[in-house]
Amino acid sequence: MIEAYIGLLIFWPLAAGLACLGLRGPGARSALVLATGAVLAAGAVGLATQTPLALNPAFLSCATALHVAQAAAFLFPAYFLFQGIREKHGLVMLFASAQLALAAYGEFGLPAPRAAQDAVFCDGLALALVLVASLVGSLISIFALPYMQRHEEHLHLKTSRQPQFFLILLAFLGLMNGLALAGDLRLFAAFFEGTTLCSYLLIGHDRTAEAKKSALRALWMNCMGGMFLHAGILLAQKQFGLAGIRELASPALWAGATLLPLALILVAACVKAAQLPFQAWLLGAMVAPTPVSALLHSSTMVKVGVFVCLRLAPVLEGTTTGRILTLAGALTFLGASALALGQSNAKKILAYSTAANLGLIIACAGIGTPTAIAAGVVLLVIHAVTKGLLFLCVGDMEQTVGSRDLEDLRGILAKTPLTALAASAGAMAMILPPLGMLAGKWAALEAASASPAAMVMLAVGSALGVVCWVRFSGTLMGGVAVGPQPAHASGLTSGPILALLAGAVGLGMAAPWLNALLLPAGQGSPLAGGWGLLPPLFATAMLAWIAGLKVLGRQSLQPLAAPYVGGLPQARPGSFVGALGRNWTLSEGNEYAPELFGEAKLTRLAGALAIALLLALVGGALI
Amino acid sequence: MFGSFLRASQVKSPWLLHFDCGSCNGCDIETLACLTPVYDVERFGVINVGNPRHADVLVVTGTVNPRNAAVLKNLYDQMPTPKLVIAVGACGCSGGVFREAPNVLGGIDKVIPVDVYVPGCPAKPEAIMDAVVTGLGKLKAILEASK
Amino acid sequence: MNLNTFLLALAGLVLAPLLGGLAAGVDRVVTARLQSRLGPPLLQPFFDVGKLMSKAIAPASHWQGLFVRWALAASLASDVLLAAGGDVLMCFFVQAASASFVALGAFCGSSPYSKLGAQRELFQLLAYEPVFLVAILCMAKAAGGFDAFSIMAAQGPLLLRLPLVVPGLVFVVLVKLRKSPFDIAASHHMHQEVVRGVYTDYAGRDFALLELAHWADVTVVLWICSFLWATGPLQMLATGLAFLFAALIIDNISARLTWRTMLKRTAPLTLILATANLVWLYLE
Repeated sequence: MIEAYIGLLIFWPLAAGLACLGLRGPGARSALVLATGAVLAAGAVGLATQTPLALNPAFLSCATALHVAQAAAFLFPAYFLFQGIREKHGLVMLFASAQLALAAYGEFGLPAPRAAQDAVFCDGLALALVLVASLVGSLISIFALPYMQRHEEHLHLKTSRQPQFFLILLAFLGLMNGLALAGDLRLFAAFFEGTTLCSYLLIGHDRTAEAKKSALRALWMNCMGGMFLHAGILLAQKQFGLAGIRELASPALWAGATLLPLALILVAACVKAAQLPFQAWLLGAMVAPTPVSALLHSSTMVKVGVFVCLRLAPVLEGTTTGRILTLAGALTFLGASALALGQSNAKKILAYSTAANLGLIIACAGIGTPTAIAAGVVLLVIHAVTKGLLFLCVGDMEQTVGSRDLEDLRGILAKTPLTALAASAGAMAMILPPLGMLAGKWAALEAASASPAAMVMLAVGSALGVVCWVRFSGTLMGGVAVGPQPAHASGLTSGPILALLAGAVGLGMAAPWLNALLLPAGQGSPLAGGWGLLPPLFATAMLAWIAGLKVLGRQSLQPLAAPYVGGLPQARPGSFVGALGRNWTLSEGNEYAPELFGEAKLTRLAGALAIALLLALVGGALI
Repeated sequence: MFGSFLRASQVKSPWLLHFDCGSCNGCDIETLACLTPVYDVERFGVINVGNPRHADVLVVTGTVNPRNAAVLKNLYDQMPTPKLVIAVGACGCSGGVFREAPNVLGGIDKVIPVDVYVPGCPAKPEAIMDAVVTGLGKLKAILEASK
Repeated sequence: MNLNTFLLALAGLVLAPLLGGLAAGVDRVVTARLQSRLGPPLLQPFFDVGKLMSKAIAPASHWQGLFVRWALAASLASDVLLAAGGDVLMCFFVQAASASFVALGAFCGSSPYSKLGAQRELFQLLAYEPVFLVAILCMAKAAGGFDAFSIMAAQGPLLLRLPLVVPGLVFVVLVKLRKSPFDIAASHHMHQEVVRGVYTDYAGRDFALLELAHWADVTVVLWICSFLWATGPLQMLATGLAFLFAALIIDNISARLTWRTMLKRTAPLTLILATANLVWLYLE
């Protein structure tokens, strides 16, 4: 039974995607996507009831499956190389060839490793990733249905390219599930390369020059990541003759051994997670249609990177490699938060904030204590839901207004109240106690007590994040009255937004229990440490919520006072009557402090520091 | 007890908004002199605020003309209720020597209701302080009548 | 949660805003005396809030009432957390939430001064939060625990091990008490270019509740500062008062700075000092 669930989780999305390609009608496509959402949700919940488990389902453990995985190690780089040659992109060619060479070395130069104990291994971490990919990913796919319709109307395409789009989108979810559950490194690497391919195709979907450029940038960076991953895996194979992830992630194995293989895999993870200095590919990804960026940022792709780090985290506890990884994560948290603060482009804000929060999770992984890992997984889940929500909201507002600049979204509350409020709530969910993102940040700060530098960077990054999100939320709500306005959205747009909003707030509130669930048995009482503080804070928050809404209800019936503009009277909203009876229009804008948070300068500075840390990560493992 | 505290505090914390409607600055200087150590009007809880939304007492100096009448009215409207208005100086009370000038409407009471008039050219700081206290007495009487 | 914790929490809920109000009264009297005036009665801030409670005025935005209640709830929650011996770091985050709500309400306002104040409030937040956090981390490291009780139970006065944290804490107190030279977002004295900045649009009862929240914040900040000499209740009170008086004196002898100076000079300088102290604790 459970094997069937796993099969569905991995292969159903691919099958449904292929069916989308065959049945080109929009009705059939909607039905297929909705069905995929239902199947994935059922499968993920079914899996959740059986966790933790270790299995050897025939379709993943047989020799054929391993052969396919080995073939994939050649096929994916070969395709990347082909793309590199076609687009005459030197870096893609370089890294794809390196990957091919490594694959050849692994196939012919090394003895075949012992097969993994379990082809499928699902613990709290893997389950978290499966739930995120299946539930959040499905919601984003459903949101994509009306969005892509409007998107193509806007582009005036002759033949719809939606079938291919949904094939890749859905297949991506299946690959993510496979990646989360794979217990064998070779299978894992195949799925890993699969996500690189999907992201390349999705980013380049619009086929504009900018899209192509961004897609190739994502490709070369992730090819480089893939190269590091393969190198790490091969080294580990050479060192231990092992291919099981579970065996590799046990600290006992590494006692006294060099951590170089792990360091290489961690660098690959940092590339996937768009850590500094590799954040460029994630920023480029925003040229793609919104569902793609939502998917890449929240539930797939970047989560692969943090998943790998968290998977290996038990080995890192107390090691130099772990300490340097903590510093690298904290540096990204700080640098990307500062970069986010200087942006007015709403999607760039989201992108930098994604990199920042993933840095926080990676810092947790570097610390490697069970408490830190549990905090990291909580952050992974809640970040996925919250960021998914924010991306969908920004995408919807962008389609309404025709701009993704925060200044153009000012006061959008009047135009699309539902989306704007959901976006504001999502932004505040990123920073407010007692919700999960803050609880995770707090737990990370207390867990990082072995590394003062990391703590200080987290402290500064945290303040930057608060300012960034309050400004974001305040700009959307800026000075507009509560008023009934017709919402344009179809149920397929507002449904996923509302579901994600409920998820972001609900899961945010449930963070302590989520945390208790993830902590290994015997780690004290379920709400140990400071997490026990959170439930009373929820009660307070709920009371404040009720009191606030009552006042909101009362105040929204009152007429508003005329704005105070130095006593000058107002003829029309947003203006004042000044000298000579002239009507002056008021205009406003946020202060982005470019001299402090300028993108070019900060990127160079933080990038150089991050490169130094990653070099130290590899170098520190060498010595 | 809480209710009586609230009522008592209504007359113990007059926050002043000072608006120069077109004064020669003589009365303004005298008004600001109230804040100096010599007179120290903060003894009575008085604060000079710059925002009508926080003010209880509007202190106006100078004559009203068609240009600033709208601003005066606007400031008065933006103050919370209950509110007091004090017209300071001969010009504020009646238009003073400018009463018949073509661009002058007259005293403050041509535009908004005035509670206390402070005569003088310029008005003395003691008189202005006395006006605030008189105004608060008026407010107290109103509050007690409405109890 | 035992009865003792509950009573402490209750005391925090009731007493903390009152203490904050008293601190505001002391502030006004002392400031007046420094200027050779007599000044208002000690309880003047309470009369001010009482008066504001009974004022009637149309709101500047429909959202402000909501955010004011949330800010008040967050400020009181941070008091309660501290009083009940909770985690000081979480107390800090809850208080930061209160400040965010105040800024959000100001963003929703209609006056340009309110919005300008909101932007400046955020830059203030950005300037004082990191150094405050690092100061708390220093205290936790020196005392060996993040909860208020273990910091208060630390051996000997923490000040002797945390001298470099003091400038940072004075900076935080100046910002949180809205005192010159960092009274940038809500100019306390009249006739300044931002009117009342972030407070411009709050009026009447909303403003009164916000004042209560501010008092609660002041108590929390001074309380955390008093951890520096927590060998007994009187010593703590004296330390808190010392920080208050330092803030008053600096307020009376300095003019306002711009947010750029605050963000580019004061904040990094105090942060570096506090970080140096943290590193020193680790090397010890």
